[in-house]
Amino acid sequence: MQQKKQIRQSLELISSIPTLPVVIEKLTRLLQNPQTSAEEIGKAITTDQALASKVLKLVNSAFYGFPGKISTITHAIVILGFSTVKNVVLTASIFDAFRKKGTGIEGFDLEHFWLHSIACGAAAQSIAKITGSNQKEECFIAGLVHDIGKIILCQHLPEEFHEAYVFAKENSILFFQSENALFDVTHQEIGGFLAERWNLPKDLQNAVKFHHAPSPTRDYYMMTAIVHCADILIRALNYGNGGDMKIPVMSDNVWKNLGMDSIPLSQLFEAINDEIEKASIFLQIT
Amino acid sequence: MKKIPVDKVQDGMILFRDVCGPSGNILLSRGTVISSALGRRLKNWGITTITVEGKEDSTQEQKEVSVSEEELRNEMQGIFSGVTDNPIMKKIFIAAYHYRLHKTKQE
Repeated sequence: MQQKKQIRQSLELISSIPTLPVVIEKLTRLLQNPQTSAEEIGKAITTDQALASKVLKLVNSAFYGFPGKISTITHAIVILGFSTVKNVVLTASIFDAFRKKGTGIEGFDLEHFWLHSIACGAAAQSIAKITGSNQKEECFIAGLVHDIGKIILCQHLPEEFHEAYVFAKENSILFFQSENALFDVTHQEIGGFLAERWNLPKDLQNAVKFHHAPSPTRDYYMMTAIVHCADILIRALNYGNGGDMKIPVMSDNVWKNLGMDSIPLSQLFEAINDEIEKASIFLQIT
Repeated sequence: MKKIPVDKVQDGMILFRDVCGPSGNILLSRGTVISSALGRRLKNWGITTITVEGKEDSTQEQKEVSVSEEELRNEMQGIFSGVTDNPIMKKIFIAAYHYRLHKTKQE
């Protein structure tokens, strides 16, 4: 068998891997302290004016669906709560770090990639809602970033990305199966590595790392399970494109644990569709 | 054959069925080449619809829908190839297919 290309190390050594704005770290620290006031958080966010204006656009969009205009960050915190605002900031920052950098490679359109990611976030959020999870917003972010490793690969090792893309297409296999056949690393691991570097919450890190292999014995199983399920449903509904034209097999365990057998799929699909329409705001503000 | 309202009659259409008056008498027999002027006269006789030769318009539409049905099925079968033996995947396939078909028809 052909020797696998060793790319893991070269990825770990890349110094230009996107970073999240310092405000995220500051927010995380502030939010850990129960004494923190809305003003303090507002001040921390508004130190980054570009980010603050995006956050305001997002909280005023149909995605958050709040009636009436929210005009300041402090107002947003009072109305939406700390955790929602932090999630908005995180989402806007992730978009900032990646969007509009390059156009992908031949056959792989970044717009389609982001559409797949947003749709997956929207689906994860809808599944979280319908299954009674209290982590709807976190699930949206997890779905949004689940394939972030592909972007890193595409931006930093475009030749290898192209190789994996073509190999997947020619052999009619999934992108990660193609990566497995060619390299010593997959996009799940690359994404997981980035999520760790970014200090994203552990459940988000695991959802990125294990969305193709959810295991109930691992920590933070539910979020991984929800993203696994969302990815498959979005492929079935054909929103965007994550780099291959195949669908992974749903884990029996995920299906059972989420109680999907008792959920009317047509109703869930409708909810996902509505959520995607609202989430398309993310493509407009960045 | 297609059933059309008499005011939609165009020159050169051929009757597929006899046109009968209220008492059952044949006004025009099958195979007659008709014109729009004749269509207007039929209206005066109290005839509202006639059956002429040719394909129904809606058949054309149905055909277009069935093409997209086929396209959809082909596309989905490509994506799902090799996994539909799995009962969960089969369920997802069927639900997604019907949902997407329904969406296409709405559009």
